[in-house]
Amino acid sequence: MPFDQILIQLINGIVSGMILALVASGLTLIFGIMDVVNFAHGELFMLGAYAGVTILAATGNFWVALLAACVIIALLGAALQVVALRPLVGRDPLTTILATFGISLVLQNYALWQFGPVARKIQEPFTGHFRLFYLEYPWYRILIAVLSAAIIGMLWLFMKYGKYGIWIRATTQDRIMASAMGIPVPLVHTAVFAIGAAMAAASGVLFGPLVGVNHAMGLDVILRAFIVVVVGGMGNLGGSILAAIFISLLEALASIWVSPAQAVIVSFVVLILTLLFRPTGLFVPTPK
Amino acid sequence: MLALENVHTYYGKSHVLHGVSIRVEAGEVVGLLGRNGVGKSTTLKTIMGLVRPSAGRISFEGQDITGLAPHRLARLGIGYVPEDRRIFRLLTVLENLRTGLDRAEVTPSRRQELLEKVYASFPVLRERRHQAGGTLSGGEQQMLAIARAMMLEPKIVLLDEPTEGLMPRMVAHIREIIDVLHRDAVAILLVEQNVPLTLAVAGRVYIMEKGAVRHHATATELGANAAVIHQYLGV
Repeated sequence: MPFDQILIQLINGIVSGMILALVASGLTLIFGIMDVVNFAHGELFMLGAYAGVTILAATGNFWVALLAACVIIALLGAALQVVALRPLVGRDPLTTILATFGISLVLQNYALWQFGPVARKIQEPFTGHFRLFYLEYPWYRILIAVLSAAIIGMLWLFMKYGKYGIWIRATTQDRIMASAMGIPVPLVHTAVFAIGAAMAAASGVLFGPLVGVNHAMGLDVILRAFIVVVVGGMGNLGGSILAAIFISLLEALASIWVSPAQAVIVSFVVLILTLLFRPTGLFVPTPK
Repeated sequence: MLALENVHTYYGKSHVLHGVSIRVEAGEVVGLLGRNGVGKSTTLKTIMGLVRPSAGRISFEGQDITGLAPHRLARLGIGYVPEDRRIFRLLTVLENLRTGLDRAEVTPSRRQELLEKVYASFPVLRERRHQAGGTLSGGEQQMLAIARAMMLEPKIVLLDEPTEGLMPRMVAHIREIIDVLHRDAVAILLVEQNVPLTLAVAGRVYIMEKGAVRHHATATELGANAAVIHQYLGV
C-alpha cells in the first residue's frame, strides 16, 4: 500500500475540494433562493482571477488583489442580476438558463478580447515549502484550503445568526411569505447573487497561482461545481460542501492508480449513481 | 383606514373578484364570510399585494397602495396570516419571529418587549423557540403565524381562516388572541367559515358570493337574520 502517496493525495483532494466547495456554495446559494441555474458562474470565477491579476500588477499586494477582486465581481454580479435576471422573475426557469448562458458567452469573449489568449500567472503571496515524504509541498496550497474553509465558515455563521442571513433563509424557503413579512425580496436576490459572485471571485484569485489564468478557465471548474451541486442536493449548502470534498478526495485517490484525466470519470460515476439512486442529492436527509 | 373600491382581480384568465368594495376602520374587527371559493382569500391576497388587481383602488390610511410590493405594505403596518400559515419550516420559532422583528427602527428594548408580549399570549412559543417551525403542531403553527405577524407591530392584520382545522380548545385560544389584538387597537379583517366565531368577535360583517360582496351588516343584525345566513352560507 503506497501510504505516502495516499496521504499526499488526501491532502491534494482536500485542497481542491475546498476550492470547489467555495465555487459550489455560491452556485447552490443562488439556485436555492432564486431557482436560477447560473451558467455564468464559471465566468465570474474567471473574471475574478483576471481582476486579481490586474490589481496584483498595479498594487503588488496579493491580499489587496484578493479583496478588491471580490468587491468588483460582487458589484458586477449585482449589476448582472438586476439587468438580466430580475426582469425574468416569475417567468419560465428556462429563460434564466438562456440569460445566464448568454452572459457566460459574453463574459468569456470579453475576457478573450480584453486580455488575449495567452494565459497570465498570479504570483502566490509566498513560495515556502515543507517536506512531505518525497515531495516539497507548497504551503500556499494549505493556505488555500484554510482560507476557503474560513470563507465558507463565515458564510455559514452569517447565514445562521445574521439578520440578513435569516432574511436569505426565509426567502429561500418561501419567497411570498418572506415579502409579506416585510423582507425586500428583490434586494435579497441581488445581494445573494453578489455574495455568490464574490465567492466565485475569491476562488478564482486563490486558484490562479496553481493554474494559468485564461478566458476558458471557468469551464472546467463550473462543470465540476455543477456535479457537486447536484450530488449535494440542489440548493443545499452543507450538502454541496460535503460533496465537493467527497468528490475531490475520490478523484485524488483514484489518480494514484489511473491517470488524472481518467480520474475525472469518478465524479461522473458519482453523479450518475446519485441521479439513479438519490436524485434529490446524496447529503439530503430522506424526507419523512 | 383600509378601503377597497371596486377591486377586480384575475388569476390568469379567470375573473375572481368582480368589483369588491370593503372598508375597515382603525381598530375595528371586520368579518368576511362566504362559502369556499367565493374570493375571500383572494381579497386578502389582493390587499397584501400578492396578486395585482386589474382594476379598482386600494387605499390604506389615505394613501393609494394599489400595486405596491408586499414588503412595502408590511412595513406600512399590514400584517398577513395566510390560510395555510406558511411558517418558515426550517427556521426556528425565534427566527420565524425575527423575520418581522429585524427592522432598523426596532430598538433592542422594544424588541424584547414585543417578544415578551407574544410569549405571554402564546407561552408554548417561548418553550419551543429554538425548535424548527416545521416540527410544531397545526395549532402551534397557527399561533406562530399570528405571532409572526404581530412582530411587525401592524395597524391591521389580515387573518385568513385562523381556526380552520383546529381543535375547539385552540379555536377558543385564537378567539382570545383576536380579542387581545382588538384591545390593542389593531384592526382585523377576518376571513372565516366559522359563523358563530365571526359574529362573536366582529363588529361588522361582509358576505361574499361569486367574487362580490352581496351583503353587509353589523354582526348583531346578521346574527338575528337567520334567512340571510342560510341563503349565503348554508347554515
